[in-house]
Amino acid sequence: MIAAGIMVFSVALAQEEPIVEYVPGDEGERRPLHTVVPAYPEEARRARVEGEVEVCFKVDREGKTSRVAVRRSTNRAFEKPARDAVRASTYRPLLKDEELSGIKTCRTFRFHLASVTID
Amino acid sequence: MNKVTTQWLTCPVVVCLCLAASVGQGQESKTVLGPTNPDLYYGAEALLAGDGEEGVRLTLLGVKRAANSRDRITGMSNLCAGYIMLEQYEIGLSYCDQVLAKNEQHWRSYSNRALAYLKLGRLEETEADLQKAEAIAPNARTVKVVRSMLLDATNPVAPLIVIDDRRQAVDDDEE
Repeated sequence: MIAAGIMVFSVALAQEEPIVEYVPGDEGERRPLHTVVPAYPEEARRARVEGEVEVCFKVDREGKTSRVAVRRSTNRAFEKPARDAVRASTYRPLLKDEELSGIKTCRTFRFHLASVTID
Repeated sequence: MNKVTTQWLTCPVVVCLCLAASVGQGQESKTVLGPTNPDLYYGAEALLAGDGEEGVRLTLLGVKRAANSRDRITGMSNLCAGYIMLEQYEIGLSYCDQVLAKNEQHWRSYSNRALAYLKLGRLEETEADLQKAEAIAPNARTVKVVRSMLLDATNPVAPLIVIDDRRQAVDDDEE
């Protein structure tokens, strides 16, 4: 009998820093204080898969996010990185005289792969 | 935006190997036997554990003692993988060639040979072997990894993430 074994040796491929573009929201919405960029899933990068995820969430008075949920997604591979990024992000805390809105905030992540030109 | 310095291209790459281990099987189903060719078996184990030198050493012994052509092919396939692990690509190629001369459907050898060609910068031969491996084993993960390595070599990409806060907030009840 031949027992076939398959193994992939991963020699610590350094996760390159993504290029990041930020498009600010409208006036009047909560202002981000610390925005965490999601990691591009390595499997998706290898397979040259791109995608988009919209995540909606609550922001409390202190600026912490909660009730993070994916509202729209083109590929499940991107959902967890997007959710994790939102959970780790913070917003500017409300001032004493500011009222907490009852509405959710949404953020869209677009995962693209840009062609690289070698210098 | 499209012009990006590509220092990451020089980072260590993912090395992908396919190994096959020969395990003995008793004639009666209740009898459990050890490997018919211990050198081949433990050589494969060593390679799977990432010990290329020991894996190759044992596998060379195993191939010498191979009792049948199947074990010999398995051993040579593992030697191809082992020498690629050791970055001795030309030697690895010679073993893959020997396997494929005996078995044209051996997708692991096509995949491994593609990887060796890739490491040697022989991209056209990489593509040709990858196509053969994909035709035989379209879902094999290792083949996909080698394919992505070839893509990285020929069409490198960098992640670009757009964070767009323009989407208006939604009512709490909408979710």
